[in-house]
Amino acid sequence: MAELDFERRLERLFGQAPDLGDAQAFAERVERRLDRGWTARRWLIGAAGLAGGLIFASQLLMSNIFERVQSAEQSAKVLGQGLSRVTPTTDMVSALSGGYGVWIAVGLAVVTMGFAVSRVIEEI
Amino acid sequence: MSGALQSSLASLHDVELCSYAAAGERRAFGELVRRHGSGVRGLLRRMGAQAAEADDTAQDAFLAAFERIAEFRGEGTFAGWVKKIAARQYLRRIQRDKRATAIAAEGVDDEADGSAGDADHRIDLDEALKGLSPAERLCVSMCYGAGLSHGEAAEALNLPLGTVKSHVKRGLEKLRARLAPVSEAKTGGAVLEGRRGNG
Repeated sequence: MAELDFERRLERLFGQAPDLGDAQAFAERVERRLDRGWTARRWLIGAAGLAGGLIFASQLLMSNIFERVQSAEQSAKVLGQGLSRVTPTTDMVSALSGGYGVWIAVGLAVVTMGFAVSRVIEEI
Repeated sequence: MSGALQSSLASLHDVELCSYAAAGERRAFGELVRRHGSGVRGLLRRMGAQAAEADDTAQDAFLAAFERIAEFRGEGTFAGWVKKIAARQYLRRIQRDKRATAIAAEGVDDEADGSAGDADHRIDLDEALKGLSPAERLCVSMCYGAGLSHGEAAEALNLPLGTVKSHVKRGLEKLRARLAPVSEAKTGGAVLEGRRGNG
């Protein structure tokens, strides 16, 4: 029993934190290191995203995407004309086939970018 | 996190702070460091680390704890969890520096038998630990400060279980003699076997 009491006492003594004068400074050092780690991680993710974006853009340009979009628009027009024969009033299809599709896609991309930027600002 | 919540971090329980930290809130983790930093640094010093080394190891331990905060389920105390991380980090550090072998090799000699003399007055734990050999000090601190079992300590130290038990037993005997009140010291305490002997 005496052994147990002593061991408990020892655990209590070990549990008592010493009064270190620079406790606040120590906590601030740890927080700074945490912040540095997160900043580095953010930059790394940002750099990876930028590199990925550049590769994506260069691939788009190299694959003659604009010519393909034009031919796709032509196809959409033909498809729209075919559909208009089946259902005379399809405003949406005609809007898409009239070149608005690209603008809608651009609009959606801008909204997505805005969302992403707001998230990044919030994170910072 | 809202400004109101931010200002009330100090009033939150450790478990709540851990859940905020797990969500990436670094200020909540900073509050945990403020609360338990001294305890962790104190443990490392008691294990035998110099002040600067203890601070470096404690910083590394807290950073590792933040990375692994999702693993903390609140089953024990946060302080106990971080202390275990810190103790293992300190051991890795001394093993890397090849100091562990030297510490383990010595310590069988009773070069610092503090059982007499100091028993006439109570001294604090830090002073009492100075009377232990480095190996005894390390083993006792790991088992009673960081909460490791003898088996865990033996594994972490890469020592046979019997050796660790022996270090702990000797360390406890010395500490008991040094820390015991006058009356108990005079009558002589029973030999401590240690209740952590479950491997």
